[in-house]
Amino acid sequence: MTEKTMEHLILIILSMLVAFGPRFIPLRIFSTRDIPKWFNEWMKYVPVSLFTALVVKDVFIDTSAGYVFTGIHNMAKIIASLIVIVVAYRSRSMGLSVVLGLTAVTLLAIVFTV
Amino acid sequence: MKKEEPRWLEVLKIALPLCLSYIPIGLACGILLNVAGFNVILTGLVSILVFSGGAQFLLASMLTANAPIHTVLIMLFFLELRYALLGSSISQYLRNTSKKFLYIFAVSLNDENYAVNYLKFATDKSWTPKDALKVEHYSLLFWTFANIVGSLIGNLLSVDLAIVDYALTALFIYMIVMQVANKLTIVVSFVAAVFAIISMVVLKSTMGLVVSTLLASFVGFAAEDYLVKHGKKRGFLLRKIKPKASRSVISKSGDN
Repeated sequence: MTEKTMEHLILIILSMLVAFGPRFIPLRIFSTRDIPKWFNEWMKYVPVSLFTALVVKDVFIDTSAGYVFTGIHNMAKIIASLIVIVVAYRSRSMGLSVVLGLTAVTLLAIVFTV
Repeated sequence: MKKEEPRWLEVLKIALPLCLSYIPIGLACGILLNVAGFNVILTGLVSILVFSGGAQFLLASMLTANAPIHTVLIMLFFLELRYALLGSSISQYLRNTSKKFLYIFAVSLNDENYAVNYLKFATDKSWTPKDALKVEHYSLLFWTFANIVGSLIGNLLSVDLAIVDYALTALFIYMIVMQVANKLTIVVSFVAAVFAIISMVVLKSTMGLVVSTLLASFVGFAAEDYLVKHGKKRGFLLRKIKPKASRSVISKSGDN
């Protein structure tokens, strides 16, 4: 086993623990008790905030140049993202959204910068 | 008279639309993990142990960007934190199950099988925790298979990373759209976008993602609390949005 593989294996095990905690602990607690309201209300906005931040990072931030805001430079990704929003809203299908998004960005990359 | 089907086949039919939609995403994820330096065995292992599209894509893209391990783990933790919400909301249907069952159930819980199971629990009285676990395992099987195939394909062809990387972004946009319950969610999303840009440009690292997530989710929580306390529960911002397509599509994937 190479050093890199060993490092990846450790990362996978740590990731598993990090992924397991949030899934198991509330399930364990709240299958015998009621959920506090404030907890639910706060958790409700975590996914949408995080997903938005991750999308913004890919579309509007150039990480290789030291986290610079790129504005409308990544036109291919901006247009593809608008397409994905419409497809996701209309179809509610994860597979279709991802496949059409990838197709759109591939085609748009011919004309615009990615 | 309809012939009685074995239960596993009935459950498989319910899980199938979800399982099939995992194939293209699993392939893309496997290809990306391959680029990030994971071999086939590691890819299979991470698919089973972590079993989360978002988390695996994030692992791949952060590893290719050489992000330090602690940043990767903090980001993963925040990404997986949403399962706390899913877990707590489905827990009401899992009372009277053993601790061991909850443990096994939690290991393979994820966004999409949660959506199917929650809908079935809410609409079908004969739906049992064991059926729900079967749905989880079918989706896990398809996901792992697609990832392994993707990893093998990734060995054979060279791919433009900037483009395959976009699969993750498309997945997140899809999940944002699925989260939109009212106009306040859309406002929170825009607030999060502004916070994300500012905090990443200022902090020059992915820590900016963590900071903006904490700030934006708090703004959403505080705004909703304010609106509810001031009697605007049915006002412009909090009124529920009903997507046109949702009913027929959801019941197609959940009830057949």
